[in-house]
Amino acid sequence: MVIKEPEASDALTVEEEAHVALGVGDERPERLWKVRLKLAWTGLKRNWKLFRENKIGLLGLFIIVLFAVMALAYPVLRSVGPWQDDGIYDPVTGYEAPVNEFEIVPTEADVVDSATQMDVATAQLWCFGVLPGETCSIPLQPAPPSEGHLLGTDPLGRDIASQLFFSTRAAFLLGLIAAVVTVGVATTVGSAAAFYGGWFDNFMMRLADLVLLLPLIPILIVMSGLWTINLVLLGVLIGILSGFGGTAIVLKSQALSVKVKPFLDAARVSGGSNGHLIFKHIIPNVLPLSFLFMMFTVTEAVSLEATLSFFGLLNIDMSWGIMLNTAQSQGYLRTGLEYWWLLIPAGIAVTLLAAGFFFVGRAMDEVINPRLRSR
Amino acid sequence: MTDTRIAPILEVKNLVMNYEVKGGGMVSAVEDVSFELQKGQSLGLVGESGCGKTSVALSLLRLLSSNAKILGGEIKLDGVNLLELDKEEMRQHRWTDISMVFQGAMNSWNPVYKVGDQIREAMDIHWDPKPSAAQAREKTIELFELVGINPEMIDRYPHEFSGGMKQRAVIAMALSCDPKVIIADEPTTALDVIVQEQILAELKKIQRDLGMSIIYISHDIAVIAEITDAMGVMYAGKLVEMGPTEELFTRPRHPYTWLILSSTPSITGPRRSLAPLEGEPPNLLDPPTGCRFHPRCPFATEICLQEEPSLQSIGEGHTVACWNYEQVPATLARSQE
Amino acid sequence: MLKFIGRRLVQMVLLFFLFLTLVFFLLQAQPGDITAQFIDPTIPAEVRAQIVERLGLEGNVFQQWWSYITSFVQGDLGVSFQQYPRPVIEVIGERIPRTLFLFTFATLLAYVVGFSLGKRLAWKRGGFSEHSVTVSGVLLYTVFYPWFAILMILFFASGLGWFPINGFLTPGFWRNAPYTGNEVFAQMLLSLAIGAIILVGTLVLASRQDERRTARRVRGIGYTLAIASIAGFWLLRTEMRPYAQDIVHHSILPIVTLALVAFAGVMLLTRSSMLETLKEDYILTAQAKGVPEKDIRDKHAARNALLPVVTSFVLGLAFIIGGGVVTETVFSWPGMGSLLLTATVAEDVPVAVGALAFIGILALVAHLVVDILYAVLDPRIRIHTGN
Repeated sequence: MVIKEPEASDALTVEEEAHVALGVGDERPERLWKVRLKLAWTGLKRNWKLFRENKIGLLGLFIIVLFAVMALAYPVLRSVGPWQDDGIYDPVTGYEAPVNEFEIVPTEADVVDSATQMDVATAQLWCFGVLPGETCSIPLQPAPPSEGHLLGTDPLGRDIASQLFFSTRAAFLLGLIAAVVTVGVATTVGSAAAFYGGWFDNFMMRLADLVLLLPLIPILIVMSGLWTINLVLLGVLIGILSGFGGTAIVLKSQALSVKVKPFLDAARVSGGSNGHLIFKHIIPNVLPLSFLFMMFTVTEAVSLEATLSFFGLLNIDMSWGIMLNTAQSQGYLRTGLEYWWLLIPAGIAVTLLAAGFFFVGRAMDEVINPRLRSR
Repeated sequence: MTDTRIAPILEVKNLVMNYEVKGGGMVSAVEDVSFELQKGQSLGLVGESGCGKTSVALSLLRLLSSNAKILGGEIKLDGVNLLELDKEEMRQHRWTDISMVFQGAMNSWNPVYKVGDQIREAMDIHWDPKPSAAQAREKTIELFELVGINPEMIDRYPHEFSGGMKQRAVIAMALSCDPKVIIADEPTTALDVIVQEQILAELKKIQRDLGMSIIYISHDIAVIAEITDAMGVMYAGKLVEMGPTEELFTRPRHPYTWLILSSTPSITGPRRSLAPLEGEPPNLLDPPTGCRFHPRCPFATEICLQEEPSLQSIGEGHTVACWNYEQVPATLARSQE
Repeated sequence: MLKFIGRRLVQMVLLFFLFLTLVFFLLQAQPGDITAQFIDPTIPAEVRAQIVERLGLEGNVFQQWWSYITSFVQGDLGVSFQQYPRPVIEVIGERIPRTLFLFTFATLLAYVVGFSLGKRLAWKRGGFSEHSVTVSGVLLYTVFYPWFAILMILFFASGLGWFPINGFLTPGFWRNAPYTGNEVFAQMLLSLAIGAIILVGTLVLASRQDERRTARRVRGIGYTLAIASIAGFWLLRTEMRPYAQDIVHHSILPIVTLALVAFAGVMLLTRSSMLETLKEDYILTAQAKGVPEKDIRDKHAARNALLPVVTSFVLGLAFIIGGGVVTETVFSWPGMGSLLLTATVAEDVPVAVGALAFIGILALVAHLVVDILYAVLDPRIRIHTGN
């Protein structure tokens, strides 16, 4: 493998900072939590200051906040806002289609205004047995944006805006699950591999190489054929797969740099068990880097879910991917941008949210990674 | 040193160079520096890091970064003012007229090409007519033998060379186009002491045998003492004292020269405690008024705070920029034993 | 060098068995009986028992695992349910060249264009072009890929009508064709292979030359010969040519779409890698030597900046292969990726799993190629392992 492990961070570890703040020989254990809190706060402030300089990062944060507001607004809009009617605005079962009245004329040549008139042959498709002179009402779905449906309706007459808002929550939920699982798996695997070393380390790292090399999309496609995959399971699967790969490799090298720090020897000499050493000393120092990878995992999870839903492989009620799938499976995507409201909002939502987390991740990278910071 | 005053091979007159700093402001890195180098002579420039010695060297080759500006002065090499050349003409003058041995030769080699090929690249660019493969090889082997490298190493990559060998190879490369002047910027700093001695001896021999004109740049005054005929001492972008090396060592007239000589331990001389050079080098964004050395100078008087001293001749080829040079003791600072 | 390749090869084979094992356990872990997936459930019980025995689906997990691995190595991947009784290996074999074609061209295009644009961006810092190219690079890098592919079709195929909307060929045009699509495609691959062999051969010859001028001339001849051989190949096949053109016409948009997205990452990485390289001391040395600016950029800086870009290919590989699956599906390109998806949707498990295994092989082989390329490019690796 030619993957370069990142250079060990030169930054002070949590422990070292705590020691610095406490001063040597300062024995006031009852105030330790206060010191830690204060340290965490100043650290946060300092990092925020660094982060703020990065415009791309701020843009990402703005996008995420925007979507978070959408997710929070949805239940409000549905319970007290304009989307109270379940029959119309439910993202999955709602239905409303404006009805167009057509006056039936004998032949196509008689059609003067195609918006109100229709020849008798074509009309048979909607109103079987209709005769010239009568009228035929045709429900219009998908319907273009109107006052009641700000982003129009989909081919099944469901409100696009409501679907868009509803799906935001699912995207956050999926991202959260995937990110937490990734970090849990990667931190444990990385720390344990660094701590125990030897064949365990070797085996874990070869496994990580393999997982890193494997494309997630084909694997998840096949898995979706073997199991019924819902949102939670998908989050866990993405979390495990991306946690075992590159993230574990990076976190391992970070853990290695912590392993050689003197305070770990001190803790060992004073009788700390292996578990104590890993959980109290190594993991807390690896965590900041883990948070960085949470951002990238969310990006990955959001676009993977959308891709798989777009192929119609997941057992999920509604998501941005499913919105695109509905439009595609009904044949509305090949007709140009005539039905733009089926294509544009969902696509932009996936792109923006994935990009938002990616931007924040990149900005955090510059804050956390001292090698990049000096640039 | 020749006494007959023929035209010097290199003549730097009143060189002024500034760095623009992000968010406005100028760092005056080189301020009114003048010196001459005679053919076959070796000249040392010594000073603390950040005093502008490397900036002088890079100005000579016009290799400054984009935020650096040469504001005035003249650099005459064999009668040609390098500062008046356009980019392309300057490129052709590099290495044929003036070549350089960089500090940290470890990283002077491109890791992906063979050392022999990198030397040949210089010949390909500058030789007229271009050397054939055999000619280039022959010349490189000759140079390798001159600097004491096994000629078989010609087809090896930089990472197969030891640090000392890389430095020797850099010297070989610097000689490949028979330059009129070589600048050696900290040529031995990164090497261990034994290799350092070997390389200095090698350089001295080459200079004598080939009659090269070399400018040595170092923060290590001992290195300069060993191999140069004349030396200049730089402080905060200015040349503060200049003269024959022996003279400066025995009779330093500038307080700064006096202090750094006092702070250099001597193995052969009598035991003495090292005189401490107190304080920090000045901030060049906002240099001190008057003499730039006055905040650290033990002999500073009222005038040093107000007026900048200019270089004045005080002996044969010996110039100094100090108001109170007569106050500087004739002997180095010694401990009270 | 050979030793290096040999060791990498052994590593790859080991990784592949690890991968097959993972796939095997994936199948084992699914709900229900594995035999139900591999054998058509409608056949009579005694036939079923026979097949179970023949396929080695008896005994404990370890025995099953072993027979799975051995039969895979022998090329026995079972039989497709959908196209019963075609063997899976045959179904996949038909698809592999088309996927390789898409993958290779998109990757080459992405890396060549991304690298040369990235190095220029880093060389000329600042200005409108750097800004706009970087921003559009980031946009391409983060865009939701299937959606982007649809937009490409809408714009270039439905809108401008420059390319066919999807598929591998135009069915109406081929109705009375004297050849099948696969025959023509095989000839296309043959001509490309001839061109590639000539090119690689002359490039190796050029690298052995002592004189730079001769080396440059040999390289020039190599490019000309390679292009001429492909052109000559098709000049001779006048009857087949329009059909080949049809396939090429269908392949341009999917290749470009996949390449565009992969290109963004390459360009951004090259740019930052190049900015790092430009700070190196040997760049200053080259300037002092009077090396012309263009040579400093290409021979000194870009040559070293290339190394991390090549390394990153290993990480980009999964991305490109995943993108390839999406591309094939959106463009209805009949390769391994769309096979994987249709087989999954049709619950044709042997084909889906077989396709997954072959995608794994593709990833591993590409990785091996990149490792060798890296060793060729970086003497520090080549020589340490060669001695």
